[in-house]
Amino acid sequence: MMFWKSTYNEFIKIAAKPRSYIGIGVISVIVGIILYAMYKEGHGFIGAITWRMEQSLTLEGNILNGNLVAYIILQTLIIHVPLLIVLVTGDLVSGEGAMGTIRLLLTKPVSRTNILLSKYLAGCGYTFVMLVWLVFLSLVIGKLLFGTGDLIVLNDDVIVVLQQQELGWRFACAFSTAFLSLIMVATLSLTFSCFADNSIGPIVTTMAVIILFTILGALNVPALQKIQPYLFTNHMSAWRYFFEDPLPIGKIFNSIGILLIHIVGLLAIAVYKFKRKDILS
Amino acid sequence: MSDTPEKIIEIKHLVKHFGKFKAVEDVNFDVFRGDIFGFLGPNGAGKSTTIRAMLSLIRPTSGELKLFGKDLLKNRSYILQRIGCIVEKPDFYKYLSAEKNIEIFARLSGVDVSKSKVHKIIEFVGLKGRERDKVNGFSHGMKQRLGIAQTLVHDPELIILDEPTTGLDPQGIIDIRNLILQLKNEHNKTVLLSSHILSEIELIATRLVIINKGKTIVQGSVSDLLNAQELVVSFTIDNIEKAKQIVQSSSLNITLESETSTNLLLHISQEKIPLLNKLFCDNGINVFSIEAKRKLEDYFLKLISA
Amino acid sequence: MMRFKICLLVFFVWVFSISIEAQSNANVILHTVYAKLQKAKDYSVDANIKVDMPFIRILPINAKIYFKQKDKFKVESKSIAIVPRQGFDQASKMLADTNSFTAVIQGNEMIGPIKTTVVTIIPLSDTSDLVLGRLWIDLTQNIILKSQLTTKSSGSILTEYTYGSQASYGLPDKMIFSIDVKKFKIPKGVVSEAGNNSDAKKKDEKKGQIIIVLTNYQVNKGILDSVFNK
Repeated sequence: MMFWKSTYNEFIKIAAKPRSYIGIGVISVIVGIILYAMYKEGHGFIGAITWRMEQSLTLEGNILNGNLVAYIILQTLIIHVPLLIVLVTGDLVSGEGAMGTIRLLLTKPVSRTNILLSKYLAGCGYTFVMLVWLVFLSLVIGKLLFGTGDLIVLNDDVIVVLQQQELGWRFACAFSTAFLSLIMVATLSLTFSCFADNSIGPIVTTMAVIILFTILGALNVPALQKIQPYLFTNHMSAWRYFFEDPLPIGKIFNSIGILLIHIVGLLAIAVYKFKRKDILS
Repeated sequence: MSDTPEKIIEIKHLVKHFGKFKAVEDVNFDVFRGDIFGFLGPNGAGKSTTIRAMLSLIRPTSGELKLFGKDLLKNRSYILQRIGCIVEKPDFYKYLSAEKNIEIFARLSGVDVSKSKVHKIIEFVGLKGRERDKVNGFSHGMKQRLGIAQTLVHDPELIILDEPTTGLDPQGIIDIRNLILQLKNEHNKTVLLSSHILSEIELIATRLVIINKGKTIVQGSVSDLLNAQELVVSFTIDNIEKAKQIVQSSSLNITLESETSTNLLLHISQEKIPLLNKLFCDNGINVFSIEAKRKLEDYFLKLISA
Repeated sequence: MMRFKICLLVFFVWVFSISIEAQSNANVILHTVYAKLQKAKDYSVDANIKVDMPFIRILPINAKIYFKQKDKFKVESKSIAIVPRQGFDQASKMLADTNSFTAVIQGNEMIGPIKTTVVTIIPLSDTSDLVLGRLWIDLTQNIILKSQLTTKSSGSILTEYTYGSQASYGLPDKMIFSIDVKKFKIPKGVVSEAGNNSDAKKKDEKKGQIIIVLTNYQVNKGILDSVFNK
C-alpha cells in the first residue's frame, strides 16, 4: 500500500516539474517539423530513394502515407527521445538530494527499496507517456495528414513492402521493444542518480555512456568484437527487426534478453546503493 | 504500577565512522516520554550525525539505537511512523504548493491524513491563506513554519527538531518556544531539541545531554545539573571598592569573578544572594540590580573547555 | 556480258521484291494484330501482381486495372503495387504508329506447341525511345505470345503472354515481365541498419520478374474519364 502511495507521490512530482514538459515539447517540435517537411517535400524524398528503380518499375499506390511517416519519425528514437527521458529520470534521486528533500523523504516509514522502486515506476510511467505521445503524433496525426497504406522499408540492400493489414501488430511490437530500450536508458540514468547529489551529473554521464557505447559498438576493431554483441546500445534499435520480412525471431529475442539483463542488473545496483547510502546533504 | 517514565529513546555506545574520520565515538543518552530534551554540543561534536542515525538517514558503525523500546534497524517502519522531524533546514519541493508538500509527506507517514487536517495544521503554524502558494516564494521563516507543520501533521509521539529557530526573528523564536511547550503540556509530546541558543534550551528543556568530539560529556535533568552549580551573579552598585571589601570580609565565602566600574560579578549560590544584598544595604551601598548570568551557557563552556 | 548484267539486275530486283514483300507481310501482320487490340475500346480487370526481384520483398497484391483507348491506363490498389514502368500496353502503343518503325519478319519460333512468327521492329528515328523490338506472334489468332522491347529509358523487358477467354480481344490472362535489374541500387544514407537479410546469391542476380494474373475482364462496358483522373 505504501508503495502505491509513494508511486502516486512520484507521479505528482514529475507532473509538477517544469522539466518534464521539455521532452514533450521537443518531441512535438521534432515531429511537427518532420510532418511538415514530408507534407511539402515527401514525394521528392521518396523519389530520391526510388529513382533508379523507376527507370524500369513504377510504384503505384499511396507510398507516402502515415505509416511511412511514422516509421521515419521512429528513427528519432535513436538519439533524441532517450536523451529527453534522461532529463527527468536522471533527476529522480539526485534531484531530491540537491533540493534537500531527501532528508525528509527517507525519514518516513517507507523502506528505501520501496521509495526507489516507486521512483523507478514513476520514471517508467513518464517514459510511457512520452512514447504514447510520440505514437499519437506520428501514427495518428501522420495518418490524418497522409492517409494510410503499405509501408516501404529500406533495409541494407532490400526494399521490403509490408502490407497495411500486418502493420498493426508490427508497430505495436516495435513500439513495445522501443519502450524497453527507453526503459533501459531510464534505468541507467536512475542508477547514476543514486550515486550523485546533483541533477546534472547523472544526466551528462548517461548521455556520455550512450555516445561512448554507440561508438564502441560501431568500430570495426577485432578487440571490440567480443563485447559488441553485449553492448546495450547495439540493441536499442531492435524495434526495427519488426519491419523485416521474415521476422528475425532469434535476433529479436536476443536483443530483448540483453536489454532485460541490463535493466535488472542496473536496478539491482541502484537498490543496493540507495539502501546503503548515508544521507549527509 | 511503576512510576518510571517510559524510555522513548535509548542510545548506547553509538559509533559512526566516515572512513578514517570518527564523527561519533561513544554517544549515550536516554530520552523519556514527556521530556523536552536538549541535545547540545559545539560544532562538529556529532549532534547532526547522531540525529541522522536516529532517523535511519545514516547507518551506525556500531552501537545500540532503540526508540519506543524497539531496535531501530529491525523496526524502522514502526518507529518512523511515530516520529516527526526537521533535520537541519526544512526543504520542500519548490515547484509544489505548501498544501501539496504537506500532503506528499503526510501520505508517506503511515496514517491517513485528510485534506482538512492538512489545512488545519497549516493554519496552526500561522500560514493560513498561503496553502496554495508555491514554496519557492516562501521566506525562511515561512519554510520553518511549514517544516513544523509537516512534523506534526501525522500526530507523532516524538518530535525531533534540529536547530528549529535558526534564521528566525525574535518573535519567531518565541513562537517556536511556546509551540514546543504547548506540545509537551497539552499534547504530551516528547521533544528532542538540538540548538545553539542555550538560553532557549535553558528556558524550556527538562533534560539535556552535552556531547563533544563524538562523546557524551554529561546528561541529566536541567535543574539537577544547573542547580549543582554556583551562579554567577552581577550586582550593579554605586560603590565598587566598599562592596569588594564587604565581600572579602564576609563569612559567606563568595568569590569575585570580575568587576567593572558599576558591576561586580560574583560566584554565589542562590540562597546567599539575599544575604549579600542585605549586607550591602546595611553598609550603605545602593544596589540597583541583581542579575544571574546565563547558567547553562557558562556550564556548557566550562564543560567544553575542560 | 550483256546477259550477265541482265541476270544480275533480275537477281537484285528479285531480292528487293522479296524484302519488300517481307516488310509488307510484317506490316500486314502487325496491322492485323493492332486491329484486334483496338477491338477493346475500354476494359477493367482484376489483377494479382507478384514481384520476384532480388532486392524487393513484397507479398502478392490484388489490384484493379483500367484501360481506355487510346492510352488511358490506371492501376488501382489499396496496397503498393510494383509494375513495369512501361505499363502493360507498350506493344499496343508501339504498333499504333506504323510510320515510326520498320518491321521485318525474322523467321519462326516455337513457343510451346504454338508456332510463332518473329517480327523485328526497328525505329526509324534516332530520337525514339524505342531502340529495338521483337514480337512473337501467333498468326492463327493474331495475338502476341512474347515481346522483347528495348528502350533507352527502361532497358530491356521481355514479356510473355498467356491467353484465355479474352483472346478475341488480344487481352491476356497472364503476363510475365522479365526485367534487367543490375542497374538498380538502393542509395546509402537513407537505409536503416536493422539487419542485413540479403541473400548473397541474390546480389548477383541480374533479372527479376513481375507476374500478373488477370481475371474478370469487363470489356467495352464504358469507363468514365474521371476514373483516370483520381
